[in-house]
Order: sequence, then C-alpha cells, then structure tokens
Amino acid sequence: MKDVQRLLKKKIPTPETGIEIRKSICTICDPRTQCGLDLYIKDGKIIKVEGSEENPYSKGTLCSKGAATRQYVYNEDRLKTPLKRTGPRGAGKFEQISWNEALETIAAGFNDIKNECGPESVAFYSGYAKYFRPYLKRLAHSFGSPNYISESSVCYQATALSQKLVFGRPGGPDLANTNCLLVWSSNPFYTNPGDARAILKGKERGMKLIVVDPRETPTTAHADIHLQVRPGTDGALALSMAYVIINEKLYDQDFTSNHTYGFEEYKEYVQLFTPEKGEELTGAPADKIRAAARMYASFKPAAILPSASSVVHHTNGVQNYRAIFSLVGLTGNYDIIGGNYVKTPSFLHRAAFIRTREHEFVQPKSWDDMPPRIGADRFPVWVDVIDEEGQAMQLPYHIRSGEPYPIKAVIGFGLNYRMWPDSKGMLDSLNKLDFFVNVDIFMTETCKYADIVLPTCTSVELSELRCYDLGYIIYTQPAIPPLYDSRPAADIIYGLANKLGLDDSLFKAGYEAGIDWILEPSGITLTELKKHPSGMFTPKPQQLPEKKYLKTGFKTPSGKMEFKSKIIEKYEGRPGFEALPVYKPPKFSKEAAPELAKEYPFILNTGSRLPMFIHTRTYRLTWTSSLRPNFPSVDINSEDALRLGIKQDDVIRISTPKDAIEVKANLTQMIQPGIIHMYHGHPNADVNLLFEGDYFDPLSGYPGFKAALCKVEKVSER
Amino acid sequence: MVKAIYLDINLCCGCGACVVACMDQNDIFPEKGQPAYRRIYTMEEGQFPNTSFLYVSAACLHCADSPCIMGCPTGAITKDRQTKAVIVNGDLCIGCHSCALACPFGVPRYDLEEKMQKCDLCSERVEAGLQPACVRVCPTGALQFKSINKVLGEKEFKFVGNIVSGVHKVTNRR
Repeated sequence: MKDVQRLLKKKIPTPETGIEIRKSICTICDPRTQCGLDLYIKDGKIIKVEGSEENPYSKGTLCSKGAATRQYVYNEDRLKTPLKRTGPRGAGKFEQISWNEALETIAAGFNDIKNECGPESVAFYSGYAKYFRPYLKRLAHSFGSPNYISESSVCYQATALSQKLVFGRPGGPDLANTNCLLVWSSNPFYTNPGDARAILKGKERGMKLIVVDPRETPTTAHADIHLQVRPGTDGALALSMAYVIINEKLYDQDFTSNHTYGFEEYKEYVQLFTPEKGEELTGAPADKIRAAARMYASFKPAAILPSASSVVHHTNGVQNYRAIFSLVGLTGNYDIIGGNYVKTPSFLHRAAFIRTREHEFVQPKSWDDMPPRIGADRFPVWVDVIDEEGQAMQLPYHIRSGEPYPIKAVIGFGLNYRMWPDSKGMLDSLNKLDFFVNVDIFMTETCKYADIVLPTCTSVELSELRCYDLGYIIYTQPAIPPLYDSRPAADIIYGLANKLGLDDSLFKAGYEAGIDWILEPSGITLTELKKHPSGMFTPKPQQLPEKKYLKTGFKTPSGKMEFKSKIIEKYEGRPGFEALPVYKPPKFSKEAAPELAKEYPFILNTGSRLPMFIHTRTYRLTWTSSLRPNFPSVDINSEDALRLGIKQDDVIRISTPKDAIEVKANLTQMIQPGIIHMYHGHPNADVNLLFEGDYFDPLSGYPGFKAALCKVEKVSER
Repeated sequence: MVKAIYLDINLCCGCGACVVACMDQNDIFPEKGQPAYRRIYTMEEGQFPNTSFLYVSAACLHCADSPCIMGCPTGAITKDRQTKAVIVNGDLCIGCHSCALACPFGVPRYDLEEKMQKCDLCSERVEAGLQPACVRVCPTGALQFKSINKVLGEKEFKFVGNIVSGVHKVTNRR
C-alpha cells in the first residue's frame, strides 16, 4: 500500500490525507456536562471521533456512547424529511412534506386550539437533548401555555425539589476540595466520568469515600465504606446516620442553633432510628452505619454527591432525599468549599461564574398570568418550589380527564412514551389527542403515532451554547451540515414561533441574537465565543463567597435551613405530606404490603445505569449493543437463579399485578439476592409496562421505578 | 524502550469505551460479522455480601517472542520494526488458524472470510505521534501507552508522593 493510502486507511490527519479535525460536543447522554469531541472529517463526512483534549471536563476522553458518535450520526433510522401521517396511528405510514407545509400545518392547528380552548391546551415537551430547552420554554409561554414539560419530571427535578425544601438553593458537591465524599446511589463511572476521575484523584490525596448503593459498582469498588441497602430504604439510612451524629455530638451545634428550623423535632424523630433499627430497615449492617456516620461527620469538609434520580424513584423519594440532605446541614457542610457548595447557575443549570438573563428569557410571562400547569392540582409543593415546568408524569391523566382544562395537542422534542410508568396507558392517552407532533433524530416507535414528524439533527450538526461548572463556556459550530433535510431543534422552534405569528421581539430577532441577549450581562458575545471553537474559560469569573446565607439568609419560608418544611407544613394532613423527613418503606414492599409480597417476593429495580446505554438512545447502535450482546436482559442474583433453576440467557417472566414481560436472564453476583435489576425502555421488553401509572411519590409525582414488587419465573431454556 | 499498552486493573470500570473507539478507528462493524480487536471481561467472585469483581480490557499482547509469528506458514504475521507491534497482512493470511493454535492467550479472531483479525497497536497512529485509539479514549486512565519503566516509575512516584505529603502535613502542624 502506498503511504498516503495507508495513512488514509488509518485516518491520520495530515495535509496529504486531507483529514481535518473539527470541534464539537457530545450530547448523546446529556448530563450535567458535555464531553468535547474531535471529529475527523474527510470530504465532508465524519470518519472517526475522539475526545477533545481542550475540553476541561472530559480532557480528551469519551465513554462508550460518545465513542459511538459516528454510528449515531449516520444511523439508518435517521429521519430525512418532515412527514405527515397517512395511515392509522402507529402503522408507520407517512408522506413526505415540505418544511413550510409542516410548520404551517402545526401553527394553524395550534392556533385553532388556542382560539377554541385556550393556549394551555397545547403542551410543549422536551426529551433529550437539552440545549434547546430555553427556547422551547419561551415558545410555550410566549404562545400563552404554561405547559412546558420535560423528562426532568422523572429525572432531576425531584432532587432539586428536595434540596430546595431543605436549603432553598441546592449545593453541589465540591469534589476537588472535599476530604470525605458520600456518594448516594450514583455510579459516576457510568454516568459522569469527570466525577469518577475527580473521585479517583480525591482518593489519591487521601479523601474518604462512602458509597450508598444496593449494587456493587465500579464506584463501590473504590469505597472505604459501602452501605449496600435495599432499594427505597435510603431515608431510614440517613435518619440512622443522623441518630449517630446527633447522639455522639458530632453535629455542628453552631449551625443547628443559629441557622436551622425544626431541629428539636427532627432530633426527637431520629431517636427512632438506632443503627440496629437502621440495619433492620435497610439491610446495611449497624456497625457500618455507625462507621459511615462518624466518618462523614468527622472528616471536614465533607460533601454529598447525589444522583439525579435514583433516590427519588420511590414512593417516599422526596422525604428520603430530604433526610439525606438534612445531613449536610447537620454537619455544617452547607455552602462551604469542599462541602455542598452553592453556585449560581448561568445557563441550563450550570454555573460558568457569569451573570446571564436566562431566567428572563425563559419566563416571558409570569406563572400567575397563565392557567395552572399540568400536575398543579395534584402536586402543590411542586408548584411552590419548581420554577421551570409542569409535572410531565401527569400528562396522560390530564389528557384522559380533560380536567381542569382539556389538553388537545402535544409537540414533543424526543418524546418517548415508554418513559412513563404504565407506558401503554401513556400511548393510549397520546392517541386521544387531536394533534400530536414529534420531533426526533430517528424514526422512533413514538414517532409512528404522531400526525406530523419533524427531523432534527445531532449535536455535531448544529450550534449550541453550553456552560461548565469549571467556569468554561462554549458555543459550538456545526462540524458537518445537518444531514438530509433535518434541522436543529432550535431552528424548528424559531420557525414555529414565526409561523404561529407570535408577537415576540426576541423570537423575531433570531436564535443567535437571543443568545447574545441572554449573555449580555456577562460581557461575553457570540462573536468572541466563535473565535474559540472548543470553548473558553470565562474571562472574569464571578467570585463566590462561602456561606452566602450569612448575608442573604436561606431561600426558604423560615429564612433558615429547614429540618421541618414550612412549605409541606401548609398541606399537612394529606397522605405523604409530613413536614419532617419521615421514613416510609416503599408502598409495594415486604414491610408495607406483606400480602402482596407473598405472591411477588422480588424487589423490582429499574433503570440503574449500564455503561453502554443511556435510556433508549444507543440501543440502535451495533457498537454499543455489542458490549451487552444478550440484551434486553434482566440482572438476577446467581444464587436466586440457581434456586429457581434459571441459567444464563434462559428466558424468564417478570410479572407484577399490572402486567408481565419475558426477557433473558443475566446472572450476576453484583446485585443482592431478592432484587432484580432491569434497564428500561426496550421495545422488546418494556419494564415500564409493569408499573401502575399511579405508583408514585405523592410529593413529587415521581414513579416508584426503583422499588416495586415482582415475581420471577422460568419460561424456557436458552 | 518500546512502548506498550498497559492496563491498570484497579482503574478499569468495564465501560467498553476502548472497544468502541477501536471499532471506530478500524471500521469494525459487528453486524457484518467483523470481530472486535478488544474485549471486556467481568470477573466476579464470592457471594453476597462478600463479593468482589474486576474488569479486564483485553487485546493482543504483542509478545516480544510471538508464537503466532512462528506458527504462521505464509509469513502473514510480522513484527513492525519501529513499534514492535505484531501485524497481520490480510492478503497473505490463508485462514489456516495456525496462529490460533499457537497463541497462548486466545487473541486471534476470524472474520467471515476466515482472515485473522486482531489489534495492530494502531501502529500508524503511533508512528504519527498519536496514542492507540483505545488508550486515547479511556475515561479512567486505566489503559496507558508507555514504556514499562515509565509506568512503574509513575506508580512509584505516586506512592512516594503520598508518603511525602503525609510527612509534610505532620511537619506543618508543628
């Protein structure tokens, strides 16, 4: 082989090969931070990807999902043009239409509904990715609808809700400076590799690591103490740790006396949770609970790294998380360097230490000037505390009941009906709509039920603004133009705003002018950002003092950190609305439903991360799915399997009173006996079919995805 | 001293990024029956609550004294002079599986045309001053491409550094 051909085959970027590297970010999984991408481009096509070394978060690395970017971008399931449904819903029969026709049809449909029923009858939903959310929320409110809703209704918001109830403002773990990290039900090795690297670095400098997780994971492997609880019992563990910390006088007495509300009642309540009681309730040994409590309370500063959603996917999720976050105040670790440190978000929940007008942009109309959001009647605490959105989990109920007003149309950006519990019920509800539009990258199952389907594109085909907590900011440039006739989600939103005839000067000014408007207080402009294709550190980062509450108080009704919530107190009497962070076992558990547990003896835990999947987004890629070839499969403890005569890859039936699915068994010792773990959303084995739609936390509306009861039976040998 | 790929078994989290990066680099498509050059193994031990587990990312070890080279009847397998990588020339491979018999580590795999396929240490990348794709992507730093003495030197330095920083802490307290 000639030299140049050899270099071309091995994709070496040189002037002779003509392979060029362009910068972007990966948003396949779109967590707190986005990994930087180097895209190797030859003749306008991506031929290889690599992590971008300039990105201060990902530092040149990627995970298996990001490494599969090429298969994601050039997937055969990509939507190519706007489509209009011609067959029955779900049949997948469509005709191609022009963008103009598509947007005009949608605008006319939405305006008709607005005129007949009011703008609130149109809901605007965001799934993944997340960059376009500010524009979609503005579109909803500018149109007059309070119903901007998102997948955050089953992900981040309940964690935020819990933290806001306790402190007013959430404080994230200061990983770089902490001396003791308490990781609560999270495995950053599979979800936020940057955090995993910070943990490894911390361990090198002597940081203590405590991990609460029902499973063995790469994170628990590095732990000094691993508290292996039963799913859904986190609150009892936190209260038991508080018992030790209070009774051994390891708590911060200055903080509890001067800056907290309800400490005496909390102190009295935790007396019920001796470590022995903690062991009985959670399964974690009493001695380990004692050791963990002493370690967390003694090594200062200490921080808690929560997960976005595992703890809140329970029928007592918010109360459990309140009990956990109460430990931060109890030990005086709130808003200090190395503790849970409060940063002011700049854009999309991330703090780049700059001031922006994001809030003004996304909330052009006050909530009071619009009808109540979806879920407002059932979840008053949500309305009191969550500023961003309605509770999307209630969408199917709202559609079916038509109360307090009808929902007639939904436009989804990446809506997947299998995200909802009772996913079949959600699909039936979507089918009751007059008008359903879905925007997606791929022809998904949900798209087949839409009246109009719009093709959008991946992060490498568009420009987006992102902030990083490291004081870093990026406005990406397209590495390749949008494939086929697809358009960036933001272009679709701006196009729709135009066709809807909205009298909104910021929509009229255009996408980039809007971003410049948002960034204006920071002094940073898009012109400047465009000179830095892989991003830049913010030139004059705002200085953030510790203990900001000393000056401003806490953003809670009492102005203090609340062991006892004054907001929940307003609704006391409703089941589940206790002002103290009261522990209750999962509604479907051996403790709370012993009769049910006789027939359904296994704990069903869903959605715990696998490294190669993020929800359903990489199922269709052969590179990622080759890493778990027997998928869809359910993890079952090897001893349980032996007892039930189940061997690796045998087909087993998982059933609940609601429904049953059949799926291959994956035998492992990394999970506890009596618990099965199943990843969600697979069309051939959708575990969400097994959940009742109303199996939720009464405070947040979050489904109890991580602790229900089920039965396991062998169906056939492999 | 020649560089090689080393795996720190305590850092590997079994995420498979190395496997996918290798597929992207080498245009390996599993759906076409093309075998992966790099593979992840999970090793579990014990029973709850006393379990332990390790992940291993495995590929060709590029042995100094390569049995596969000696076993190959057509000279299809050679050693790269510069990188010391063991390289297969597909044009010469007759699919006889002799290398499979010779390799003590079970590395060789065969595509649908029975040609042997395996890691080539990303030799062209290495010659161009780049790291092998699997090493470049690794999110925990478990995979490294260095000379063995450098790997060990860094490990020792970390160990010594921890002791010294402990001593500093004690000294500063006085």
